[in-house]
Amino acid sequence: MPDVTAPAVLLRDVRLDRGGRSVLSGIDLSVPRGSVTAVLGPSGSGKSTLLSALTGELVPAAGTVEVFGQRVPTRMRDLLELRKSIGVLLQGNGLLTDLTAGENIALPLRLHTKLPKPVIARLVAMKLQAVGLRAAGDLYPRELSGGMARRVALARALALDPPLMIYDEPLTGLDPIASGVIMSLIGRLNASLGLTSIIVTHHVHETLPVADHAIVIANGRIVFQGTPAELEASDDALVRQFLRGEPDGPIAFDRGDLARMEAAR
Amino acid sequence: MTSARGPRLEFAVGAFLLLALASLLVLAIASTNGQFGFSRGGTYPLTARFSNLGQLRPNAPVKVGGVTIGRVTDIDLDPVRFDSIVTMKIDERFNEIPADTSAAILTGGLLGESYIGLAVGGDLEVLQPGEEIAFTSPAVDLMQMVGKYMFGGGGGDADAATPASPEAGLASPDAPSNEGVTP
Amino acid sequence: MTAGIRALGRAGLFSLSVFRASKPTADFFAELVREIYKIGGRSLPIIAVGGAFVGLSLTLLGYRALETYGASNQVSVLIGLGLYRELAPVLTALLFVGRAGSSISAELGLMRATDQITALGLMAIDPVAKVVAPRFWAAVICVPLLTAFFCSLALSASWFQAVQILGIDNGMFWQAMQDAVDFRADFLTAFLKSAVFGGTAALVASYVGFHAEPTIEGTSVATTRAVVNASLLVLMFNFVMSAFLFR
Repeated sequence: MPDVTAPAVLLRDVRLDRGGRSVLSGIDLSVPRGSVTAVLGPSGSGKSTLLSALTGELVPAAGTVEVFGQRVPTRMRDLLELRKSIGVLLQGNGLLTDLTAGENIALPLRLHTKLPKPVIARLVAMKLQAVGLRAAGDLYPRELSGGMARRVALARALALDPPLMIYDEPLTGLDPIASGVIMSLIGRLNASLGLTSIIVTHHVHETLPVADHAIVIANGRIVFQGTPAELEASDDALVRQFLRGEPDGPIAFDRGDLARMEAAR
Repeated sequence: MTSARGPRLEFAVGAFLLLALASLLVLAIASTNGQFGFSRGGTYPLTARFSNLGQLRPNAPVKVGGVTIGRVTDIDLDPVRFDSIVTMKIDERFNEIPADTSAAILTGGLLGESYIGLAVGGDLEVLQPGEEIAFTSPAVDLMQMVGKYMFGGGGGDADAATPASPEAGLASPDAPSNEGVTP
Repeated sequence: MTAGIRALGRAGLFSLSVFRASKPTADFFAELVREIYKIGGRSLPIIAVGGAFVGLSLTLLGYRALETYGASNQVSVLIGLGLYRELAPVLTALLFVGRAGSSISAELGLMRATDQITALGLMAIDPVAKVVAPRFWAAVICVPLLTAFFCSLALSASWFQAVQILGIDNGMFWQAMQDAVDFRADFLTAFLKSAVFGGTAALVASYVGFHAEPTIEGTSVATTRAVVNASLLVLMFNFVMSAFLFR
């Protein structure tokens, strides 16, 4: 029986390895229900690895990962059930190129529910309306602009009304206006649908206004957890370097010798 | 949710499948021997012994006067008498083959396939299923015959050299050209 | 060496998962129809043209070769047996690998690179069932049908060359072929071979594309590997099947 008061996501002393190398360790994280949490950090810091642990793609080398009070299962069938309650917006959108926008959104509805076609059509229209693309249902992904495609992918991620939404770098490749549209959509949908949202991004200044909770990951650990206001006021050297975008500081500027060491392993 | 491409796509695929199946049918009829395997009506077996089979293979036709009435189903060697036993299945419509019918192994043209030609006799008794045809002549080995005619000298040696029934042996070269070559 | 064996094992497991993921749902059939159009219908022109030219050149070659023995009116036997036993299944399969095999691996590689396959997995939809299985069964259905087209065009072209141009008797052409080509031993085995080749080509192309590196370079490498490996496997299986079927 899922615990209604449990946090949406709970990580306890988690260590995540990829390719034999430890990417993140000692992770303790609690994401309250209904919040918008921003996961910030430089490129390659392991933010996407964290997401993989939440969706069950990556099994933690140590520690436990719980979603809505239940451990992330390893058995395929249980994992598939869990994934139906997590909506994911990927960096590349992942829209199927053979299907129209409307058919893309209808896909999870068709395959996971037994709803009749007219009902599915209405649901698709509703989702498109929610992201402001009511008229784009018959367009193919190649006919959509970057921002529109991102919004269609968002509508598709919301198709089954999942209680948890995960956004992997949602602002990549978008112009400032489109970025603003997406961020405001994320905030509004989170509030109106009662979702919990986790946004992995390095676009700090666009994301912080919408978030209630912020986490900074650097050098394989969580270096900050708190509200955006606390983040701005923090005097941790790592955090300040990241926020100000300074090339020099505790976070090493990768000159390529790190990559060479990796390749040699 | 069906896009406008739906019905046109389905039509295109349906047409493709239909055309392909039609061409399969035409190919099967026009370019193969039509041995589809379902026996229209029944067949009954007959056997025959030959001293020399030549190029006879299983599935070779059994013909009377050029018309196929059956197929060779099995070829075996008798371990005691060392002649070959050929089993044929004959269409049931032709179940009144006289008991004195003779069987010969003939070739359709010079390079055609071997088949069994039945020369019908006049006996009132008919061959029963499983019975053996009593009168047979073996396949003519062309190379042997040529060698004997070339190096055998006169007709007397040639007569003495040809095996078993000389009339059947000499008749055979004629028979194929009548029965085997198609118009 | 061990890496090669492990790669073979992975490919085998992938093929097994394709079979397990093939469930006859309405969605599967919709995808199947779409794939039959894409890989079968669109391959038709190259198969048809290829078949016609193979028929023409084979007839010419056969005629010249048999002329020496005065058996040139048996050329249709050569064409019929040659086509059904070896040429039609193999050539159709190789043309298919080049046209449809490369497009399958390119499409799957592109899907991998644009996160479509990941997205399906995260939506709790088995990507192998949705994307790979329809292509596999479409290939198994289409390649025998394409072989039928290949044969019809090759035989028609051969008839044209032999009867109209080289002056072979029309009746003799068909009669000799009909006597020589056995329905079960030659005709049906041709289509059995084609089905096997189609399935092999689809599995190789799907495996390589599905597991391509999610980059542009990865997709192009995958396509090349798919065509090369699938072609080699087709030729190998052709030999194995011929050895067993034509004793």
